[in-house]
Amino acid sequence: MTRKAHVLASVLALTVSMTALAACSSNSKDNGASPSGSQSPAGSASAGAGSSGAKDTITALLPPVSSGFQDRFEQLSKDFNAQYPNLTLKIEPASWEDMTQKLDTQVNAGSPPDIAFIGSEGISKYVQQGMMMDITDSVTPEMTDDYDKTPLEYMKNGTGLYGFPAYMEVHAIGGNKQFLEEAGIDWKKVQKDGWTFDEFREAIKKGVVKEGNETKRYGFVFATAGVTSKDYLNILIKNAGMPASFTTDLKYAYTSKNFLEVLKDVRVMIDDGSMPKELSSIDAGKRWNMFLTGQTMITGKGLATFENSANKNNAKIDANDGSAVKGSIKVDYIVLPVPTFLGQEPKSSTVVDGYVTFRGKKEPTAEHKANVVKAAYFLASGQVAATTNNDLFAAHISKSGRKAAESMTVNRNPDNVAAVQTLLSHATPARPDIPAELGAKAIKIEDEVIIPKLQALLANEIKPEEMYEAVKAAAVKAFGADGVVTD
Amino acid sequence: MTTPTMQTAQQAKTGRKRRIRGDGVWGYAFIAVALLVYAMFTAYPVVSAFFISFQHYKPLGSTFTGFDNYAATFRDPLFWKSIRNTLLYTVLTVPVALVLSFCVAILILPLKRRLQTTFKAIYYLPVVASGVALSVVWLWIFDPMPAGIFNRFIAVVGAHNQNWLGSSATAMFSLVIMAWLSSHGASIIIYLAALLGVDESYYEAAELDGATFLQKLWHIVIPFLKPTTLFLLVTGVIGSFQVFQNAFLMTGGGPDNATTMVGLLIFNNAFKYFEYGKAAAQSLILAVIIAGISLFQFKFLGKDVEY
Repeated sequence: MTRKAHVLASVLALTVSMTALAACSSNSKDNGASPSGSQSPAGSASAGAGSSGAKDTITALLPPVSSGFQDRFEQLSKDFNAQYPNLTLKIEPASWEDMTQKLDTQVNAGSPPDIAFIGSEGISKYVQQGMMMDITDSVTPEMTDDYDKTPLEYMKNGTGLYGFPAYMEVHAIGGNKQFLEEAGIDWKKVQKDGWTFDEFREAIKKGVVKEGNETKRYGFVFATAGVTSKDYLNILIKNAGMPASFTTDLKYAYTSKNFLEVLKDVRVMIDDGSMPKELSSIDAGKRWNMFLTGQTMITGKGLATFENSANKNNAKIDANDGSAVKGSIKVDYIVLPVPTFLGQEPKSSTVVDGYVTFRGKKEPTAEHKANVVKAAYFLASGQVAATTNNDLFAAHISKSGRKAAESMTVNRNPDNVAAVQTLLSHATPARPDIPAELGAKAIKIEDEVIIPKLQALLANEIKPEEMYEAVKAAAVKAFGADGVVTD
Repeated sequence: MTTPTMQTAQQAKTGRKRRIRGDGVWGYAFIAVALLVYAMFTAYPVVSAFFISFQHYKPLGSTFTGFDNYAATFRDPLFWKSIRNTLLYTVLTVPVALVLSFCVAILILPLKRRLQTTFKAIYYLPVVASGVALSVVWLWIFDPMPAGIFNRFIAVVGAHNQNWLGSSATAMFSLVIMAWLSSHGASIIIYLAALLGVDESYYEAAELDGATFLQKLWHIVIPFLKPTTLFLLVTGVIGSFQVFQNAFLMTGGGPDNATTMVGLLIFNNAFKYFEYGKAAAQSLILAVIIAGISLFQFKFLGKDVEY
């Protein structure tokens, strides 16, 4: 019995030790060709470059980009393998919540996937880490020509290209058609010509419905809890002559007097009673609930896919489906532009997400790089892109995507489609010229000064001038007095 | 011809051999597993963090920066603000948590065994529940609109609805309330185990002397439970200094960094800005602070504690 226990203990000890050692030694498998451990000899330098037809595995870490996206993974891998019989596309699914953490862990361990789906604003962070794979020399002209210029630019940093865009969505705001019309707002004209802040301010005042002292409906509710406050301010300041955090001569832009004026307007909408005084605690879920339950006339931020969500809830209400949002009413979602400030030109805030390419600790071979490019292009173009973007109600940004989408039907309000196209026509251009180091400093000011101070401003704890001075002081400290805009 | 010294050495060698050849081998084998796991998952990360704290870390090659990360940390007003926030949170939560756990344990103690187990399970439930799920419930409780649970509650006494998590005046207090009303399960079970360890004869003797409930509590229970209280206090303070989840999920550190705890700051530096060197330096500073406070607690509160 004792002998058996000893043997059992030894086996257990050996198993634990081997597991631990195996976990530690995973990096030793990294051949440099496939950051995530290509299972074939194709990754080795001796396998040759170009299209030798040697077997290779490409790994991708992908979130649920659209509702049915992850269900199609198996088919996507099969279709890719049918197109390139020597290549295997191995897709690892991740939830949106886990995506950043999983990717960051893999990147910092030096073994990221070959491809990951992220927002283009994340590229500079990984470029700074030196873990992104520049595919400029591996893409073909046919690939780059397939894409609209603006979204493709978002996948660049400096002179490098780090992947392909999946879609470019406009950050707009969304209105309830019935309430807009009741408030006498000509929303079709607004969709076409836009509106100034003064016009917008008067419009949202008209949208307020009160019963005694209690507000039953607000004119405008924007999600600002936590990091969403960043979206709120970013959307507004782009229309106030500050399309990026740096001017074209690389001076930090948010020290401009225009920034202060926008902050004053942010406060004035709450003081008018058009927005709730508890705005700083309203998150994305809450404000969408308020929109669907008729507690606000206009909400933000608004993405094209919200029309889809509203339509689905309308269908549930019609069908007496218990899963419809509790207390919700039928809503016709109307895409509206963000107002402009101080006579500035409209500049739509856009989000470009896409399939970005990573490298491991060792230099990838030319052949593996070419294979990764093939996989990224496969995911970001043609049928795959068309299906995903239609799920999201997002505009198509590649010729092949548009062509594939021709045979697909989407139930969208044509006025909204036209409004999104108008907004896309003045989309904020990408700024790959902003050095990663400057970009990182600006992000830190945003996270450590702008967001916390904005939360305090929304909660009426500080004045716009105090926030402006705090941002200015942080900017001067980070970039020097000559590195910031003075006007 | 051997000298006595040589003989002793020989005997010691033989003894050691005997120990190694016998059951001692298996003892070492068992220890080796735990030691290996400890070395890999505790000691190695700590040592590694120490070296990273002197570097600008990058996966493709870090650079040595000396004490820059430490200097930057000490110059950073946000670090000191986070330390102040963490201290405030600790002072407000740990003692109340101890008192609450003690009171609940006292209330459960006289119950029958089955009922006792049921209550233990109920109070322990939040410990096994997902923190994220609990946070969703708390976000609903702290809903800033008039429909929020707390706002409905205070409306009964005529107070206006509060922006619980969005205002600097109430955000920290909201996190403290959350800590007060959740997850005392482990402390309750430890207190209960300690209470069950107090010999009945003490209570019987006290009763013979006509002691009241409060007198028994003060003269028997509290002194007997002092080692348990010290243990829970030390671990509670350590846990509170490392608090991260509540601030991360409920307020994100806001508004205006009013709820940025040092754990959240370290997380942000490491995983948001990839400043692993600075995060490692801050972690080690935090470890020193926690060690200092724990030593202080043992020195001044553990004088007459016997284990």
